[in-house]
Amino acid sequence: MRGFQGSDIPERSGIFTIEDPYTGESLYAIPALRPDWALIHVQKADAEGNAWILGNRHFDVEMSRAATRGVILTAEEIVPGEELAREPEMTAIPGFLVRAVAEAPGGARPCSCHPRYGVDAEEVRRYMALSATPEGLAEYLSSAAPGRAT
Amino acid sequence: MVPTRDAPPQAVRRAGDQITVCLAREIREGERVFHGVNSPLPMVAIFLARRLHAPGCVLIEIAGSVNPRPRFMPRSTNDPELCHGAASLFSNADIYDLFARGGVDLAFLGGAQIDKRGRVNMSYIGDPASPKVRLPGGGGGAVIMPQAGRTVVWRTAHDRRIFVQEVDFATQAGSLCRVVTPLAILATRGGGLELESVHPGHTPEEVAGRTGFPLDLSGPVPRTPPPTREELAALEEIDPGGVRFSEFKAP
Repeated sequence: MRGFQGSDIPERSGIFTIEDPYTGESLYAIPALRPDWALIHVQKADAEGNAWILGNRHFDVEMSRAATRGVILTAEEIVPGEELAREPEMTAIPGFLVRAVAEAPGGARPCSCHPRYGVDAEEVRRYMALSATPEGLAEYLSSAAPGRAT
Repeated sequence: MVPTRDAPPQAVRRAGDQITVCLAREIREGERVFHGVNSPLPMVAIFLARRLHAPGCVLIEIAGSVNPRPRFMPRSTNDPELCHGAASLFSNADIYDLFARGGVDLAFLGGAQIDKRGRVNMSYIGDPASPKVRLPGGGGGAVIMPQAGRTVVWRTAHDRRIFVQEVDFATQAGSLCRVVTPLAILATRGGGLELESVHPGHTPEEVAGRTGFPLDLSGPVPRTPPPTREELAALEEIDPGGVRFSEFKAP
């Protein structure tokens, strides 16, 4: 890829340059990221894990492809597959990449899930204050997801 | 709605308004303009430019929204409200591809340390092998900065820890055109960053004293035009909740 001119990152990170065989331009060859799992929350999915992402997709699509063991998916809503199959171009993540799917309404809170809910700034502040210590983090988790904190 | 916090102190208000209008004035009509995450001042500045002198500039923000029309100014520059009314959603891959093709005129980026040669550090304070502070990193800055037509960096503080002789680590470099601070505008000249103008209420000597590399003060230094009445009125309409003050540390 292009870029990095003047940056110390390639040297520090051991990124090699290669010559573009077509133009002779010096480009950077970035090693692939190979995560095991991708954890992704979406607005709508079916029981097979076919998933719609509304609004900006950020890196979700790339992450779903890169995860070598698969995607663990949560969705605001699980709907019948026929409903999604009516508009297959909307399905950003095909179910064959997904290893597990669960319905989890509000699953992105206190962050946002467009267009259902926005960022809960007060709750994010509470998290930031409490998460400064392990005890505070445990307190936050037990209040945010009662009975599920470890 | 995003809750409005207490009114900012007068000094923060003055600096926030001045920096925001300076950033907006960097935008030319018709340009493609990019801002990244954690960039409240550039975000507000781009909306200001679209309202005033550059209605045809194209905002491409990091989450991928093109020319959004948010119903309120979000505190996060990665907020899904920035999808609202967007002309299109442009993926991250598309954004970096556009930079690689030379398709972005102006990028706004932050910087923890900035040196005379216009190199920006977002990675380490101290020796990178055993740093005093490990910073969040530059995101895509190392790819954006050399490929943008121009890069404008902003800071909400101006001191010798920020403006250093040599950065501890060059995260990103290239195309730096201006740095806007609460005191002044620095611009890239042949020999590196120099003082372009000093904001009202500050002096060239003060700026030089708070900059860790030498600035040429031999010629007259112009005063930065303060925000006009029109700019201030538009700012209040666009950003009544004061998102543009959110980066300033509480006194």
